[in-house]
Amino acid sequence: MIIEETLIDLETDGTTKEEVIRHLAELAQSQGRIQDIEDYIKAVLHRETEYSTAMGFGIAIPHGKTAAVTEPFLCFAKVRSIDWKALDGGLVDLVFMIGVPENAGNEHLKILASISRKLMKEEFRSGLREAGSSSELMQFLLNSDLGIG
Amino acid sequence: MKTGEFIIAFEEGLHARPAAELVRVCNNVKSDIIMAKDGMTIDPKSILGIMALGAAKGDKVSVEVSGEDEDEVFSKISSFFSESQG
Repeated sequence: MIIEETLIDLETDGTTKEEVIRHLAELAQSQGRIQDIEDYIKAVLHRETEYSTAMGFGIAIPHGKTAAVTEPFLCFAKVRSIDWKALDGGLVDLVFMIGVPENAGNEHLKILASISRKLMKEEFRSGLREAGSSSELMQFLLNSDLGIG
Repeated sequence: MKTGEFIIAFEEGLHARPAAELVRVCNNVKSDIIMAKDGMTIDPKSILGIMALGAAKGDKVSVEVSGEDEDEVFSKISSFFSESQG
């Protein structure tokens, strides 16, 4: 699975985009998905400087494709409202972060597309916000049939 | 109504900066725009919609523009895709 319970944090303390990205990267590293955490964070932040990964509806999907990633992963965090420099100017309270190895082809596009299709639906977004624990959220994702292994 | 098909030439596919640029092109216009790929249709005025399309390099997308400024909007969208051809 690209996401698992240990890659989910519903009580993230970070108050900035940088803090949240680092926190999620640490989760991925602790699960052996990232080899060089600084390299991964650098790749994600570089992308953020080119354009914001805030997608509207209070959701951001930062992502990095780099050799620092050993195994594709998807992390999730609920955060306190953060200014993610969104195109719509809105604050972000839900973050999905993706990591894929450099040689993963279009894997990150597929993951992005799959999550985005779900996020277009109001009931999916409210399901994410209503989950009370990591295990509940994991179960919700499994039941939602994200279409990614 | 104006319709057309375009091949994605962006190295990274239709995401990242090109996706943000397409959203910018499609917003603040009067026409309705529909984009489709493999039977999935989305509104390219939304970045989430464009991401949901998951268009990789080499994929073909179709575009339909209808409204009072359709000629101008379709021409802008055509330029957006043709510039990506390098």
